[in-house]
Amino acid sequence: MPKFARITAVFLKEIQDIRKNPNILVMYALPVLLTLLWNNIMPGMPPGMALSFGLLFLVVMVGMYVPSMMIAEEKEKKTIEVLLLSPATPAEVIIGKGLLTLLSIIMVAIFLVLITGNQLQGLLTILLATVLTSIFAIFVGMIVGLLAKNQMSTGVVGMPVYLLLLIIPQVAEMAPGAVQTLAGFLPTYHYLLILDSSLTAAAGQARSLYNLSFIAFSSFIVFLLLLYIYKIKGLKN
Amino acid sequence: MIEINNLTKSYNGIRALREINLRVEPGEIFGLLGPNGAGKTTTIRLLTGQLRPDTGQARIFDRDVFMDKEEILKNLGVVPEEANLYERLTILQNLKFFCRLYQVDYTRIPEYLEMVGLLQEQDRQVKNLSRGMKQKVLLIRALLHDPEVLFLDEPTSGLDPGSASVIHRILQDLNREGMTVLLTSHNMEEVDKLCHRVAFLNQGQLVEQGIPRDLKLRHSRQQIRVVFQEQEEVIEELLDLKGKESAEIIASLIAEGRLKAIHSQEPTLADIFVEITGRELD
Repeated sequence: MPKFARITAVFLKEIQDIRKNPNILVMYALPVLLTLLWNNIMPGMPPGMALSFGLLFLVVMVGMYVPSMMIAEEKEKKTIEVLLLSPATPAEVIIGKGLLTLLSIIMVAIFLVLITGNQLQGLLTILLATVLTSIFAIFVGMIVGLLAKNQMSTGVVGMPVYLLLLIIPQVAEMAPGAVQTLAGFLPTYHYLLILDSSLTAAAGQARSLYNLSFIAFSSFIVFLLLLYIYKIKGLKN
Repeated sequence: MIEINNLTKSYNGIRALREINLRVEPGEIFGLLGPNGAGKTTTIRLLTGQLRPDTGQARIFDRDVFMDKEEILKNLGVVPEEANLYERLTILQNLKFFCRLYQVDYTRIPEYLEMVGLLQEQDRQVKNLSRGMKQKVLLIRALLHDPEVLFLDEPTSGLDPGSASVIHRILQDLNREGMTVLLTSHNMEEVDKLCHRVAFLNQGQLVEQGIPRDLKLRHSRQQIRVVFQEQEEVIEELLDLKGKESAEIIASLIAEGRLKAIHSQEPTLADIFVEITGRELD
């Protein structure tokens, strides 16, 4: 059983480390800057659209990039070796890193809601969808971190996935056919639908429940994939 | 305390270790001496459960390394060759993190930092430290949970003599308090100075082991070099230690006041390594 004290130790270490890591701090700043840009500068942006794109960008880019970089850096600098010689288990290391990413995403998401000043119809649904999609993104980011040999190669391994999950949902409505079919399999598309419906009250609660279930199911499948890849690759190069 | 039986390990078909057998007794400083690529780091990795052997067995505290890894690691400190510290964190943050992982309190941190002369530097980021300072932090990190056995992989490689000397002193102090130490090195002076017993590793094979003094006696040519005055010149001559003749020559040189110096021809550990393997240590 993972020990809470050791998960907390990893969590606290990551907080101290992230504060001095400009590469990761930039990733947190980007969704805030982009949301502000869309909200205030882009003319004719429908209400709630800037927040939707900002949240999607936050969840995908921070959710995937941060854990992938954390794991890849531990491998590259070989700090993972001494970590695994301590009583900390790989599960505790991974949970500590994932927990920090999740909590930081929630904090930035709340900040985005506050700075855009949107009237949200279903705050609870948005929060739940953000948490579930973040968990999905964090698992994908961890898989990228396990597969990448170093920090540089996280981009090579992860970028196609990041773009797929970020771009396809946004262009799906404009490009019906294959793109929309593909989008239907992406949890980020379902996340965007939930955001749209909550921000514009365009869809009913029943539809959101389906979208939430799809995201939760995707997270579970990716979690199984993460376990499988961990079993093959382990935490070391 | 540490026991290795017929340990063999290959990487991609190349044998890194071949049927290694050795035993380290409690309270001993044991040195594994060999050039780069001899298999020293592989041995440490096998002993810490980071690698699995192809054949053979490694036991520490009478427990199998691979069966009881968790229990063994609780009482094991490891100083790796690479300074794998968290570079953006300060010295203190690094050490506190490991205290939290081992669930020990922070009380020993100032004591250890004082011991290595880094107490005033505790709030410096690790990335701004010298190689020697980082090595001292690695050593403290390995000691925080008060282990019974300490493994060090090339602990003073690339360090200035001052930093190396501090680490040597600490290791000797820890050993006097009862800690068992296994270190790898290609620095024969370090091993000679610190270790109660040594083993030579060459191309994955253990080619010799024993007490440094015994090894030197065993491989000695039983000669001395005598320096004496001969009219206007100073002459050096090798004399055999056995036989009456050498004794008579030395006695007469002393009696005539012509003897300048006598040097032992005892080989160094590096000489012995070259003699056995035909390879240099560096």
